[in-house]
Amino acid sequence: MMNRKPSGPQQYTTFYCDKSLLGLDISCVQEINRNQELTRVPLGHPCVRGVMNLRGEVVTMLDLRILMGLPKGPITNRNRNLVLKCEGETFGLWVDGVADILTIDQNQITAPPSNLALGEARLIRGVYQTEQALVMIVDPKEILTASLSGIRIAA
Amino acid sequence: MFQDDELLHEFVVESSSHLAQIEGQLLQIEAGGSDIDVDLVNTVFRAIHSVKGAAGFLSLSVINSLAHSLENVLNMVRNLELVPTSPIINSLLRAADQLRALVDDITNSNDVDVSGFIDELEAIANGQVQSEISSNEGDFVVATPSTPPSTVVHELPEAVNEQPETEEAMQGFVESESSEAFAYLDVESLSLTTDETSFEPPISFEAPITTSSETSLPVKKIVNSETTAKSVKPVNSSGNSSSEPKEAKAKATDSIVRVNVALLDRLMNLAGELVLSRNQLLLAVSNGVREGLESIASRVDQVTSELQETIMQTRMQPIGTVFSRFPRVVRDLSAKLNKECNLEIEGNEVEVDKTIVEAMGDPLTHLVRNSVDHGIELPEKRVAAGKNRVGEIRLRAFHQAGKVCIRIEDNGGGMDPQKLKAKALEKGLINHDQAAMMSDNEALRLIFAPGFSTAAQVTDVSGRGVGMDVVRTNIEQLGGTVDIESKLGVGSAVHITLPLTLAIIPSMIVGCAGERYAIPQASIAELVRVPEAELASKIGNVHGAEVLRLRGALLPLVRLDSALGLRAADDIGSRPKSANILVLETGQMRYGLVVDSLFDNEEIVVKPLGKHVKELGYLAGATILGDGYVALIVDVVGMAVQSNLRNIEAAALADAEKHLNKKTEESHRLLLFANHPSEQFAVPMDMVARIERIKAAEVQVVGNQNLLIYRGNSLPLMRIEESMTALPMEEGIENLFVVVFRIEGQEVGLIAPSLRDIRDIEMRMDATTLREPGVLGSTVVDGTTTRLLDMVELVRHKHPNWQQPQVVSESVQPEKMPTILLAEDSDFFRNHVKRTLETEGFHVIGAADGQCAWDQLQTMFEEIDLLITDIEMPRMNGLELAKAVRSNNAMSELPIMALTSLASDDDHARGAQAGIDEYQGKLDPSRLVEAARRMTGAALQRS
Repeated sequence: MMNRKPSGPQQYTTFYCDKSLLGLDISCVQEINRNQELTRVPLGHPCVRGVMNLRGEVVTMLDLRILMGLPKGPITNRNRNLVLKCEGETFGLWVDGVADILTIDQNQITAPPSNLALGEARLIRGVYQTEQALVMIVDPKEILTASLSGIRIAA
Repeated sequence: MFQDDELLHEFVVESSSHLAQIEGQLLQIEAGGSDIDVDLVNTVFRAIHSVKGAAGFLSLSVINSLAHSLENVLNMVRNLELVPTSPIINSLLRAADQLRALVDDITNSNDVDVSGFIDELEAIANGQVQSEISSNEGDFVVATPSTPPSTVVHELPEAVNEQPETEEAMQGFVESESSEAFAYLDVESLSLTTDETSFEPPISFEAPITTSSETSLPVKKIVNSETTAKSVKPVNSSGNSSSEPKEAKAKATDSIVRVNVALLDRLMNLAGELVLSRNQLLLAVSNGVREGLESIASRVDQVTSELQETIMQTRMQPIGTVFSRFPRVVRDLSAKLNKECNLEIEGNEVEVDKTIVEAMGDPLTHLVRNSVDHGIELPEKRVAAGKNRVGEIRLRAFHQAGKVCIRIEDNGGGMDPQKLKAKALEKGLINHDQAAMMSDNEALRLIFAPGFSTAAQVTDVSGRGVGMDVVRTNIEQLGGTVDIESKLGVGSAVHITLPLTLAIIPSMIVGCAGERYAIPQASIAELVRVPEAELASKIGNVHGAEVLRLRGALLPLVRLDSALGLRAADDIGSRPKSANILVLETGQMRYGLVVDSLFDNEEIVVKPLGKHVKELGYLAGATILGDGYVALIVDVVGMAVQSNLRNIEAAALADAEKHLNKKTEESHRLLLFANHPSEQFAVPMDMVARIERIKAAEVQVVGNQNLLIYRGNSLPLMRIEESMTALPMEEGIENLFVVVFRIEGQEVGLIAPSLRDIRDIEMRMDATTLREPGVLGSTVVDGTTTRLLDMVELVRHKHPNWQQPQVVSESVQPEKMPTILLAEDSDFFRNHVKRTLETEGFHVIGAADGQCAWDQLQTMFEEIDLLITDIEMPRMNGLELAKAVRSNNAMSELPIMALTSLASDDDHARGAQAGIDEYQGKLDPSRLVEAARRMTGAALQRS
């Protein structure tokens, strides 16, 4: 997977999931908002928080915590929706807070540690070390496939 | 080879639309026979000519030469040098099909060998083949195209092993091509271009709103079926090309809509107006001016509606684009099956949404083919049945109540409901009870049941894996309905109803557990509101499934909150007290959806859902309401499936009907007799100890008491007229009957001058009109008002002193009197039994049905010593109640007595299984009381 990526520097949006810091390629982040008005979808997969009106489009909201195998978190005023567009599908990711935008050179991303929890391991493409913290780089495609396959299994 | 892809694409689109018309026109020419319509021939000629010209320009040599040969023949027809007989038209049609196939697979067209077609056409032009062909007229395809048959055959999925006849290959080929071609025809129909030969760039734009696959859920599956259909098509009859480039091409033309320039201009104008209104609005808002805001708002409103309507119009297409393929289908198929059919088409101009037009292709084809294959009989058979040799098939489209209706009628053999039932039974789709109860109409609808049309029915004509259930599913997913009528020997008619469009649907917005949902208006038959007071009587419970009693019929109910798990179990209390029920109807299913509240009717725009939630069966999409809230659209069919409604329907409903009907028709065995011939009385047979026949003279009168000396004892006798308002016995009767009862431990006889009958009679008792001591009530038997006697009361009334001792003993320890809970749904019997027991000193609590009794038990179980229950009751019957009690730890020891009218051994066994300890008759008070005493273990046994 790594070898497909361009090697130059790229911008990443970083955000929190519980206490971990995660990063996503900024080119697939369509917008970030704090819209909380959701319509819940009965009988949907637990990772589906609901559907949202995004300027006339109906967009599914996923809960990152559930995707990462964590329990539901409390709702705070730091929560944000990351609206992602990936493989033609627009969907939202409910995160525990948004941090910085980092410019990261591809060479500085190292392989994920092998002791990552199984649930997360699928989604993590690599790890980047800043002076203060460790950023786990998430693959948006994996989020999509993982969440969809989770739904298929559940259904 | 081709440098200009765009030009090539233009050519494909243009030629396809020219060629799409040809088929119908050739058939018309054939119908005209020797009476040649030169204009029509000219039209076909010009179309071919323009294809030929453009093909030459683009160096498409094969297309060019095939078109040229076609043109030659047509030219001869045009000049009246050649009479277009069926064989000639056959050749022309096949050549045109080939031409179309070449155009569809344009990149490989130059490698295809069409010399067979060309030779055939040349032969016709030279006047050589005509006789040869006509000598073989019975055979559908005579002149085998020189395209090596093996190439064709190997790519046909259905023909693998043997070397099949070419006609079969052609058949498959023809079908696939015709449906393919109409994707282009769709485009043509919206075209403004009237000059057939012009090559002006068409005004076209990509489908503006969404591509069809995203419009709404209905489309989802249809798209699937289309793609499967495509993959089955033997596309490659055109030669050695692979199927991929062809599919790509097909899609390219599918996603393009040609729009009338005038319509486009109107859209532009409206967009301009919208911009203008927006500017005004922005200005007004930024200036903070309120005046004029309303007029701006109404302007925006108006422009938006118009815009919406106009955009919808760009999607509207005449249904004729689908219909026009059927003359050929019918013609070829009837030739193949040796049948004679005439197809009449009406309503080509009726316009429907593009998505619907496209999606209706397969279901309609299937239905039309069915009509020919299964509907119309062979000519000999028709003649034998006194019908015209030629079968009639009518295809009709028309508008009705804002919807589009399509009817496919044939005057063929019709269907036999009995045979359908037998087949469904054999397949295990229904059981014998269902079959017995099924009406003819219901039986006909069995053909839509999944798994009904199977291998036995599959011929190479109708059985293409598309059963009638798929037809139904496809139509229902478009929001339409399908129904069938048929009369054996007379014919069949399939009736399809479709919405005009899918993108915008009128819907009812409902509320449930704080959420709002949209339910398509098309499926709503009516709204029913059941006020709290009527809940118990209108809503019943059968085997745990709720049903609504609606005008005498039973309707299964689905609660939206339970079906979707909207309310936690402890939150059921937040349900509104009264019930709002939407009666939903889709095809074969009919059920009631219970919601909390009804809001409004709205025209909603269907928005596609994301992949994560798309798979949920009960959802048909989502919409955004006026306040920005996203409301989910309920899929009426999906919801029924989700709630296992089929099971409820099949098992419970039939049962429920029986149960609920029975309730009012409890029957009892009664002895009918008359004192005076004009007055009829009845006593329950199970109270009668025996009947004696005596001579009137044997009756002795002591004091004012009649006595019969009988086996050494004196039996007190009673006369009806002594005890109640009744006509006296007629005089001069020599022989009498004495009906002997055993009451309060004593025997007593009732004088009955004439016994009339012993019968099982349905008890519809009127407990008030003729009520008096000794008379339970009245009912009508064979038109005669009959009074039902309460012997116990009668005796007490007459001999108050007889029961004296008990009353004394009972009053000794009144605090020890047991409490009985009585569950009985008939007011008459409940009051009667209650009275009987209360006079014996029991404390009786009445409950109107099993559910009420169960509720009572929850609150005051400790005080209850005995449960007496009727068996047949609404909501919760006696058996269910007994089971519930037995399975509850605290209550499991509670004695249970069941009251019945006519209990069979089976009933007893079932009762015992449910936990019922004893059965007693309803109208036998002494035994009832005796049993109650025994079971409560009261220490009040009579000494």
